[in-house]
Amino acid sequence: MTGYLIRRIAQGILVLFLVSIFTFFLINLAPGGPSSLVDFSSTAAEREARLARFELDRSPVERYGLWLTALVTRGDLGTSINQGLPVTDLLLQRLGTTLRLALGALALAVAFGVTLGILAGLHHNRWPDHVVSVISTLGMSIPNFWLGIVAIIVFSVNLGWLPASGSGPIGQRADLATSLRHLALPAGVLAFSLMPNVIRVTRAALLEVLRSDYVRTATAKGIRRRAVVLKHALRNALIPIVSIVGLITTVLFSGSVVIESVFGWPGLGRLAIEAANGRDYPVILGVTLLAGTVVVTVNLIVDLTYAVIDPRVRHD
Amino acid sequence: MFPTLNRTLKAAAVALAATLLPLGVAVAQDVPQGGVLQLATNADPTLNPWAPGAVIESNLINTILFDQLTRYSPEDLRPVPALATDWSASEDGLTWTFNLREGVLWSDGEAFDAEDVAFTFNDVVLNADLGAQSASQFTSIDRVEIVDATTVDFVLNSPFSALPYYLASFAGIIPEHVLGDAENPLTVASFNKQNPVTTGPFMVDEFVPGSYVSLTPNPNHWAGEPNLDGVTFRIIADPNTQVAQALAGELDVVTRLTASLASGVEASPELEVLRQSQNLYYWISLNQNDERLTDVRVRQALLHALDREAMIEAVIEGYGQVSTGPVAPLLGALYEDQVATYPYDPERAGELLDEAGWVMGDDGIREKDGEDLVLSMPTGQFGYLVPATLLAQQYWEDIGVVADVQVIEWNAYIQQVVVNREYESTLAWWSQPPTADVAPYYSCDAVGSGNNIPNYCSEELDNLMNAGRRAITPEDQQAAYSEMQQYMAEELPYLYLWYPDILTAKRTTLEGFPEINASSAFQHAVDWYLND
Repeated sequence: MTGYLIRRIAQGILVLFLVSIFTFFLINLAPGGPSSLVDFSSTAAEREARLARFELDRSPVERYGLWLTALVTRGDLGTSINQGLPVTDLLLQRLGTTLRLALGALALAVAFGVTLGILAGLHHNRWPDHVVSVISTLGMSIPNFWLGIVAIIVFSVNLGWLPASGSGPIGQRADLATSLRHLALPAGVLAFSLMPNVIRVTRAALLEVLRSDYVRTATAKGIRRRAVVLKHALRNALIPIVSIVGLITTVLFSGSVVIESVFGWPGLGRLAIEAANGRDYPVILGVTLLAGTVVVTVNLIVDLTYAVIDPRVRHD
Repeated sequence: MFPTLNRTLKAAAVALAATLLPLGVAVAQDVPQGGVLQLATNADPTLNPWAPGAVIESNLINTILFDQLTRYSPEDLRPVPALATDWSASEDGLTWTFNLREGVLWSDGEAFDAEDVAFTFNDVVLNADLGAQSASQFTSIDRVEIVDATTVDFVLNSPFSALPYYLASFAGIIPEHVLGDAENPLTVASFNKQNPVTTGPFMVDEFVPGSYVSLTPNPNHWAGEPNLDGVTFRIIADPNTQVAQALAGELDVVTRLTASLASGVEASPELEVLRQSQNLYYWISLNQNDERLTDVRVRQALLHALDREAMIEAVIEGYGQVSTGPVAPLLGALYEDQVATYPYDPERAGELLDEAGWVMGDDGIREKDGEDLVLSMPTGQFGYLVPATLLAQQYWEDIGVVADVQVIEWNAYIQQVVVNREYESTLAWWSQPPTADVAPYYSCDAVGSGNNIPNYCSEELDNLMNAGRRAITPEDQQAAYSEMQQYMAEELPYLYLWYPDILTAKRTTLEGFPEINASSAFQHAVDWYLND
């Protein structure tokens, strides 16, 4: 088990290293430069002075070397070109808010997704199955940004129930209730688009398990339907659900990019968009590495969870 | 604007106006006090008006925070006193003396004086190594000399009669006692991103990155405390969300409203849409490095071919008017309307092209010496540049001219068009201070490396622009700039498209908010009040 862990972590670091190389050279290949240095009305003299200030007149290979050295020796991710703040500070400021949104959306997606999936699986080809299928088709096909704006119009503008944007009230510490009110719309919209995956996997896994011999045996023994489903069937149906949760986590990061923009949610997704539009090279690298680290870690946790749920899976 | 003869008189009048200011404050006390105004900006601002990249997301908030030597009158946009109480130019127009307001304190309690003005210009704006934002507008300034604690001389290397106008355009004074020792005064994070020291009516209370910047009244402000208890800028990237929030009552002002969103705001009884103006025009630039485009008949034909009225209707829902040149009607006497105009006339366009030797080919494309008239037309994904470009492409197709439109991402567009000048035609805009001095965009000096995007160079035009810069009296300026506008309308260094209305949505209960334009409104934030 320890050997397996060390091997996986070493692989993870290699992956992150390759990600940093690809990201660095890709963004440097992209035309244009940091928006604070190359804006529409700046003159050639202004541009040259600014590029020299940020050492952007050096070759990309040289700059990558400097960046990597600082990271490895000092844990320093560099300074944002457009914002003038250390990248580590920017990431830490945003990580918490993104995690709050991601976990909120994940919890909603799993809670509703698994429930609706079970409902559909148990009532296979009857009306509850069709209703769930309609919900899940809607979730798959309605774009996030549109649903977000509609949700703002309905719940904030027309009904006035929920705040339209931001992660909390201005200038005061938020209590739990206020924080949840701010979280409700963005997490709800994000969860709605993630839920179909959970529903479909839960439904399919449950249907398969319900057809298996041991479930028939359990039913034949006279165990109540409820106990058969919850104790015997669901546990085995969990394995594909856990892996879809692992996959969703990566989708969560990309989905939150759109949702964060619509709801003015100050998270990593918006930081990434601003950095990419503004060619803020150190910030793009930082966000990519952080997202990469999260994905690598979640995958590792998912693999370890299999062993807990399914005693047949062993990591040697 | 300051006649040599009655210069003293004028200065005295300005000084009188300045002494009357405290009276104005006393009157302002009668308006309702209190309330916090909610505004939005599209990204984290940089709280230093000269920091490279402090542009659209930072301009309005910096205008409130950092007072300038001058600001625009809410009536006619002439420069009126702010940190300077009066000013005058020497006979040769090469030395401008500014008397500074006495008793002004920074938000940290230190005294403001001539050192701060000299630092802002000598060590920051004129220091070429820093590449300060909009430094290129001040290349006529050689140095700022301190005469005494409340007097400075701007020493110029060439006459620049529009100086007081430019000093009111994103030219905030920054504190020497805070930034003077910094290695680079433009990148001090604790100042730019946390708590800048300022002289404006409001100062920074809290800056939460990605969320909001809240401002609180500056107890040291020279014109007394503002009427409002605070101003908050929420950071909301998406313009649709900004409008949705204004409709939900969470925002009081939305600036730079897009035309398509204006109708939704107009339907709300609590909000109104201000149709403001700015010295801003859209244009098509025809690269003069391309020989085909140096023929003025070709340029005139390409403008005759465009139905600009219809384009304004289609692209900005009628919120704008056809432009005749680089000076907007907003400028009053300095705007010249008696110039050559180019109404929509595809036939006339065809005749002009025929005269220039571009005859219609069998394939519907004009040709000369066996070569088709095809122009590359890169366009950037920003605002409504893409739909406007596509319309121009269709109108040109009608007269047998092919525009090869490439849509590119904004940052890459800047690299290709502005930095490398790799284009034959392109559509964009210029926004300038409210003066007719447009030399940075037209002079031969600015070809290739500066803001002269079409690379248009004419000695005659340079002379006309310099005459305007030398002219001291309003009459002389008007004469010089009238001639300049006539020349430009005839020669078309740029194809002039339209002056768009600048749309601002505001809550009807917000008063004391100058309606003339956003620059002036935000320079007078001290007067804002909520009449709930």
